[in-house]
Amino acid sequence: MTSVGSHPTETGRRDVVLAAREVAKHFPIKEGVLQRVAGHVKAVDGVSFEIRRGQTLGLVGESGCGKTTLGRVVAGLSEPTAGAVLFDIDSETLAAYDGGSSVGDIETAHKVDALTGDAYRRFRRNCQMVFQDSFASLNPRHLTIDIVGRPLRVHKEASGSGLTERVVELLEQVGLGRQHLYRYPHQFSGGQRQRISIARALALDPELIVLDEPTSALDVSVQAQILNLLHELQQANDLTYLFITHDLGVVRHMADHIVVMYLGTVAESGPTSAIFENQHHPYTKALLGASPDVDAAEEFTGLEGSVPDPAHPPQGCRFHTRCPVATARCGWEVDDVVRWIEDEPGAAGRLAGVKRDSAFAAELAFDDAATAAVVVDAIRSGRIHASMPEAVLKAESRDSRVDVEFGAVPDVELSVRGPGHVAACVHESLLDL
Amino acid sequence: MTESTMPIASIRDLRIHFRSKAGVVHAVDGVSFDIRRGETLGLVGETGCGKSVTARSLLRLNPMPPGIHAGGTVEFRGAGELPVELTGVDESTLRAIRGNRIAMIFQDPGKALNPGLTVREQIAEVFYQHRADELLDDIGLTDRAGLVRTLIAREASLRSRWIERGLLRVPPLRAHRAALRRAVDDRVTDALAETQIPNPRAVMDRYPHELSGGMRQRVMIAQALACNPDLLIADEPTTALDVTVQARILDLINDLQRRHDTAVLYISHDLSLVRRVCDRVVVMYAGKIVETGPTEDLFANPSHPYTRGLLAAIPSASHQRGALAAIEGTVPELVDPDPGCRFATRCGFATPMCETTDPGLAPVAADHEVACFIHHPVPGGVGPAYEKAAT
Ligand SMILES: Nc1ncnc2c1ncn2[C@@H]1O[C@H](COP(=O)(O)OP(=O)(O)OP(=O)(O)O)[C@@H](O)[C@H]1O
Ligand SMILES: Nc1ncnc2c1ncn2[C@@H]1O[C@H](COP(=O)(O)OP(=O)(O)O)[C@@H](O)[C@H]1O
Ligand code: SF4
Ligand code: SF4
Ligand SMILES: [Mg+2]
Ligand SMILES: [Mg+2]
Repeated sequence: MTSVGSHPTETGRRDVVLAAREVAKHFPIKEGVLQRVAGHVKAVDGVSFEIRRGQTLGLVGESGCGKTTLGRVVAGLSEPTAGAVLFDIDSETLAAYDGGSSVGDIETAHKVDALTGDAYRRFRRNCQMVFQDSFASLNPRHLTIDIVGRPLRVHKEASGSGLTERVVELLEQVGLGRQHLYRYPHQFSGGQRQRISIARALALDPELIVLDEPTSALDVSVQAQILNLLHELQQANDLTYLFITHDLGVVRHMADHIVVMYLGTVAESGPTSAIFENQHHPYTKALLGASPDVDAAEEFTGLEGSVPDPAHPPQGCRFHTRCPVATARCGWEVDDVVRWIEDEPGAAGRLAGVKRDSAFAAELAFDDAATAAVVVDAIRSGRIHASMPEAVLKAESRDSRVDVEFGAVPDVELSVRGPGHVAACVHESLLDL
Repeated sequence: MTESTMPIASIRDLRIHFRSKAGVVHAVDGVSFDIRRGETLGLVGETGCGKSVTARSLLRLNPMPPGIHAGGTVEFRGAGELPVELTGVDESTLRAIRGNRIAMIFQDPGKALNPGLTVREQIAEVFYQHRADELLDDIGLTDRAGLVRTLIAREASLRSRWIERGLLRVPPLRAHRAALRRAVDDRVTDALAETQIPNPRAVMDRYPHELSGGMRQRVMIAQALACNPDLLIADEPTTALDVTVQARILDLINDLQRRHDTAVLYISHDLSLVRRVCDRVVVMYAGKIVETGPTEDLFANPSHPYTRGLLAAIPSASHQRGALAAIEGTVPELVDPDPGCRFATRCGFATPMCETTDPGLAPVAADHEVACFIHHPVPGGVGPAYEKAAT
């Protein structure tokens, strides 16, 4: 524990700029006039990763999987519900923390929401965020000089003509200039607005920038300009990036390491080459298969079904409702049966009630005995899913009722697949599937 | 040319301008192309280059004013019908074509679907409006004078709910109310089933906000394809969706198109998607067409510096980080544009003549045309060339 007491204003040189440990962010769902809390949207539900100095970590996943929420927590813009975000920490200290030693001391020195005074200010200025929608994130009534100069003024870095000169310098770094100082956001193109957002993020000379889909709203030719610019700035200023995107071509180009998220959790994470060449999670595989690549005009498939509700994530593996290679160990549960009934022409509309003992066991009531028999048969015969018969403990009908119970399955944990490469899937390899 | 080989639509020298505070925006400025029967034609280009304005002119959906039809024609040849010049035709003829012979799906299904109507009501409307006589046939009602048909079709633009609850209370029709409802249900179910929505009968009674993005997109497609249009215009239909859902929707459009021999005008700025789904491609830049050709040929031999630039700018595994081939600069103002090549301000090959003379489209290969002096014999002057600029 050598580094804990280091001087708080010293520029961080520790090798891990930021580490997330089991970070969760749940949003309450409020209902009725009394706004009672009826449940929680588990937007981020236990995510860990670390970002090494000078590197780019890519964060990918479908819309609504929690990327922006996680980015905001990492940038200190929102507090995690659980877990820790550790800032500027060396690998040994992090290993000690993971091993459970000196947890309290380490958190006092590095945990973002425990930092105070100078240490907190140092984190704030060293961690900046660039948002997806440059139109929404730039105040339409402010001039460029006010937008880019604001962080400098707030942190009392510059004022008067010094401030103007520093803003010009920043604008020049992002390919704009003095002629743009006194213009409003609407007078710029999308690409130029994104440059202004980047200039603002650079103002305090940060170590880490969280980039939330910085090019998703831009055309390819402008996207290329911005991606080149981000790379140049990274080289020149020794920047570390957390790069959020749903464009796999972009993330492959920009990231050293990739985290693939599904429904608030990490499905797979590893070095960029490993993720693209040797996927260990069927979701990663599906994402890559669905992403059109100009170089390769091969067939693309996409995924069946839609993303489940993050307020009620599936049991076992969260991906089992859509996974093409799901097994009996993946978490079959009552909801899977109910969803099948709702989509089955012969059974839809005949389900009168569901009495749950747990996610895995329930009594289903139908309008008639015939439907109950059909459902039992569908569960046992593997018509709902081929691996379901093996997972079911009980499926019996009594008149128009069905008792169904599956073996309880814990969450599928991440396991090591290679150096720095982890995946959460019961299959050891996808190669022979 | 026989009727079946005639293009389904021909746009000739189309000019649509918009009045704005800064001056007249030349959003579409002399655009000509054909859409052939049964083909998928891709329309690509940067934001604001005029893709949507061009597409909307096929349904006359551009707001006028501030829009001005500054010239050109849009001819539509529906199967077995006489050609119609859409920019000059009267409103009632246009209404008979819209949603029936030509249908459109949008980037944002939220805007295309009415939040206050169930899925059933949205799709039923299309049938009442364009298929009233077939519906009456279905239920065995003779309508010799065509009166009922006219009434229903006219009311359809108001609300399908009103037809079923109100109009059908009128005595001679009342007896057929249940039968008509069933006939409509069957057609709506079929239309939804075509898009592979699971359990269409249950989806029918939901409101748009109760559906996921992918499902809303399917409902919009079902509505657009309900009448088997000759031409479907898809304006960035999947931009708002995830890659995984995107792939399914595109497959679906392709499949429906093949089965019904529908022509599709597919608008996108995503070149990789266009390459996957289109037979031919039209590339627009700043209100004009810069290149057009068969997909394979255009991607194998992109000939306009802008097309080449677009393709080179896509990040791929082979690119060194930080060395993407960006097209520097930005799209020129479309307010009172200069007479020359609109790409000249960003083109690495531009010569003085490019700034004063519009190159115009000319063939470089079979079915492949380019608007650039690099590929045209230049009268009495030295034109730009790739080799020259490379040194
Ligand atoms: N303030 C909030 N209150 C309630 N739910 C929220 C809130 N913010 C986000 N969510 C929910 O949390 C989940 C994750 O949202 P998030 O914005 O992080 O997704 P994302 O991965 O960034 O998606 P996209 O790719 O569409 O930007 C979603 O289900 C979203 O609806
Ligand atoms: N209703 C309108 N009023 C004024 N200008 C418009 C209108 N619709 C489009 N434009 C202008 O026409 C040009 C082309 O727009 P559009 O066809 O929507 O571009 P895109 O190629 O992105 O679909 C743009 O400069 C746009 O601002
Ligand atoms: S654990 Fe693996 S096989 Fe099972 S559902 Fe999840 S991703 Fe599919
Ligand atoms: S005509 Fe001239 S300016 Fe235009 S694309 Fe060709 S070389 Fe470039
Ligand atoms: Mg987001
Ligand atoms: Mg558009």
